[in-house]
Amino acid sequence: MLQFLRFVAVRAALAVFTLTVVSFIVFSLMELVPGNCAERYIAYKNTQGSIVTQADINAEIVRMGLDKPYVIRWVNWVSGVFIRGDFGDSCLWRVPVTQLVGEKFLLSLTIAMSALVITYLIAIPIGIASANLRGGALDNSLRIVSYLGLALPNFLLALMVMLFMTVQYGETLTGLFSPEYKDAAWSWARVLDLLRHIWLPIGILAWAATAIALQTVRALMSDEKDKLYVTAARARGVSGARLLLRYPAKHALGPVINSIGYDLNRIFNDLPIVATVLVLTEAGALLLEALASSNDQQVAGAIIFMITGCIVFLNFITDILLALIDPRVRRSMF
Amino acid sequence: MFFRKKKAASKEDYFTAGQRQLIWQRFKSKRGALIAGWFLISFILMGLFAPFLSPYDPTAAGRDENYTNGAPQIPSFCDDAGCSWRPFIHNVERYRGADTNFRWITRQTEERSYVTFLPSDGWAWYVGKFNLNLPGETFDIRSPGIEFTTHLFGTQEGYIHFFGTDAAGKDILSRTFHAIRVSLAVGTLGVLISFVLALVIGGISGYFGGWIDSGLQAFTDSIKVVPTIPLFMAVAAFLPDGWSAETRFFFISLILGLLGWTTLARRIRTHILSERNADYVLAAQLCGASSGHVIRKHLLPSFTSYIIVDLVISFPYMVLSETALSFIGLGLKDPVNSLGVMLQNVTKVDVLLNYQWYFIPVPIFVAIVLAFVMVGDGLRDAADPYSEVNR
Repeated sequence: MLQFLRFVAVRAALAVFTLTVVSFIVFSLMELVPGNCAERYIAYKNTQGSIVTQADINAEIVRMGLDKPYVIRWVNWVSGVFIRGDFGDSCLWRVPVTQLVGEKFLLSLTIAMSALVITYLIAIPIGIASANLRGGALDNSLRIVSYLGLALPNFLLALMVMLFMTVQYGETLTGLFSPEYKDAAWSWARVLDLLRHIWLPIGILAWAATAIALQTVRALMSDEKDKLYVTAARARGVSGARLLLRYPAKHALGPVINSIGYDLNRIFNDLPIVATVLVLTEAGALLLEALASSNDQQVAGAIIFMITGCIVFLNFITDILLALIDPRVRRSMF
Repeated sequence: MFFRKKKAASKEDYFTAGQRQLIWQRFKSKRGALIAGWFLISFILMGLFAPFLSPYDPTAAGRDENYTNGAPQIPSFCDDAGCSWRPFIHNVERYRGADTNFRWITRQTEERSYVTFLPSDGWAWYVGKFNLNLPGETFDIRSPGIEFTTHLFGTQEGYIHFFGTDAAGKDILSRTFHAIRVSLAVGTLGVLISFVLALVIGGISGYFGGWIDSGLQAFTDSIKVVPTIPLFMAVAAFLPDGWSAETRFFFISLILGLLGWTTLARRIRTHILSERNADYVLAAQLCGASSGHVIRKHLLPSFTSYIIVDLVISFPYMVLSETALSFIGLGLKDPVNSLGVMLQNVTKVDVLLNYQWYFIPVPIFVAIVLAFVMVGDGLRDAADPYSEVNR
C-alpha cells in the first residue's frame, strides 16, 4: 500500500512538472506574438473613435503588469492558473477567459471523451478477434479500413459526409444546435437537440482514432497469443474465449491502457479542424476564432493549456490504473 | 516468395549479403508495399515534372476566363459530325441572348478542338530559376534558369480542362500537379528539419545518458503531450499577412519540423542507448578503435536503415498537417497550391451541390498518403531482422 501511494505521489509530481513545462511553452508562445495585450486593446479602442495617447498605453501596460520581467509574469500566470484556476482576462473582450470558454470547452471535452470511449468500445473486441483470425477475410478488410483511417484525414471524411448528405438529402448537417436552441438555456429539449447533432462529430473523430487503436490492439494481441504461457494454458484444457480473455488479453491490456492518453491527444488534434468543417462553435472552433479574428493570445494560450491539462490528467489516471492492474509497474517506478 | 527461392538457390549469398541487400530482398517479397512503392515513385515524378505535365499556369495568370466553375471536359473521338482518329473536345463560348434572359452563360460550340501532344507554345516554366535576397546587394543570387514552353499536352485552340476549373477559371488538373509538388516539398523540408533536431536531441540524450537523458526525456514528453494542430494554429495565426508565398511556405515547413521531432528523437535515443552497450561495440573498443571510428563504422550503420524507415513513416503526417493547416486558412495561401488551399472554400452548400469536381484531388491525395504509409510499413517490416523468424 505504501509502495502504491509512493507511486501515485511520483506520478502526480511528474504530471505537475509536465504541466509546468507546457505552461512555459504556451506562455512563451503568447509572448512571441507581436504586440502585447495593452497595445492591442488600445488599438481596438482607437478604431472605436476615442483618442489614445502614449501615456494611456503606458498606464495600461502598468495596470496589466506588462512592465514586469518575463519570468515574473510567467510565475504570476502559472500560479493564477494552478491555484485559482484563473487564466486572466481576454485581451479583446475584457472578460475572464474561463467565463468565455467554459461551457464551450466542456462541450468539446464531452465530444472528445465520447469519441475516445467509442473508439475503445469498438477497437478492443474487434482487435482481439482480428488477431485471432489473422490472415482471414475479417483481418484483411480490417487492415484496409485501418489504412484508410490513416490516409483519409478527419476533415476530408467530414467533407465527404457533408458532400454525401447534401447531394442525397439536400441539407447540411452543421452546427451543434438547431437555430432555436442556439442561445437557449439548458433544458431537456436542448439536450435532445444536442444529441441529434453531436453524433456526427463524435463519429468522425472516432473513425481515425479507431483505425489506429485497432492496429495497436491487433499487434499486441498477435504478439501475446503465441507465447508459451498461452500454449501451456491450452495444454491444461482452457480453450475458446475463456483462453483468450484470461491469458493474452490480460497481458495486452497494459500497453492499450497506456495508449489512451495519446489517443485523446490525437482526437484533440483533429477536433479544431473537424469543428471548422462542421461549423461547430465549441472550443476547437473557438480557438481558431480567437487566433484568426482577433489575435487574442490570452484565450489561445488558455485553450491550449486546458486541452493539454486534460491529456496530462488522463495520462495520470491511466498510469494509476495500470499500477492497480499490474504490480510490476508499481515496483518499476519508485 | 522470391526471396525464399533465392535463399534455397545459394545460401552463400544470404550470409554474405549486406544489411541493405537483406532489407531490399525482404521488401521485394511484400506485394502490397511494392505496388505502393511504384505508386509513390510515380507521384514523386509527377511532383518533379509538375510544370511539364500541367497544360496551364496553376496561378491566376493561367486562368480561363470563359470557363469558370467549368465541368471536367472529356475528350471524345466521335460527335454528330462523325468520328476522327484524333481525340478532340468542343470549344466553349460565352453567350448572351434573349433565350437566356440576357444573362451570360457558357455553352459548347460545334467547333472541334483537337488534343495535341507536346505543344511548344504553352506557358513558360523554368528550371533552376531562383532569387536569393541576402542582406547587402552584392550577395544577392539571381539565377534566370532555363526557359521551357513545352508541355505534355494541349489543344489546338482554346483550353482543355480534364478536371474542370475552379471559381476563378484556374485549371484544376494543373493545380493538382502543383499541389502534389508543394505537399512533397513541405513534407521533405519538415522531415529534414525534424530529423536534424531529433538527431541532435536524441543523440545527446542517448550518448550521455544519466540526468541529461532524464531531463531531455521529460522535456520531450512535455512537448509530445501538447496536441500539435492547436499549437500549429496558435503559431501560424500570428504570421504577418504581408509575407510572400515563399516565406510563408518556408515558415510553415519550419513549424512542422520544429514540432514534429519528438517521436523520432525518442527512437534515435533508444537505438543509441541499446547499441552503445552492445557486444560488437565493446569488441571494437577493445581492439583499439577510436570513438570516432566506432561511431562512424559501427554505430551509424547499425541504425541508418531504421532512421530512413522512420523518416518515411513520419512523412505523411507532415503532409497531412500542412493540408489541415492550409485548409483552415492558416497555412499556405493562394498563389501557392496545395490540397488544403484547393479545398479551402468547398464547404459551402453551393459548391457541395453544384461543383463536385472540386473534390477530384481528394482521392489522389488519399492515394499519396496511403502509398507513403504502406511503403513505410513495408520498409519497417523489412528492416526488422526478426520479421522472418516471427513469420
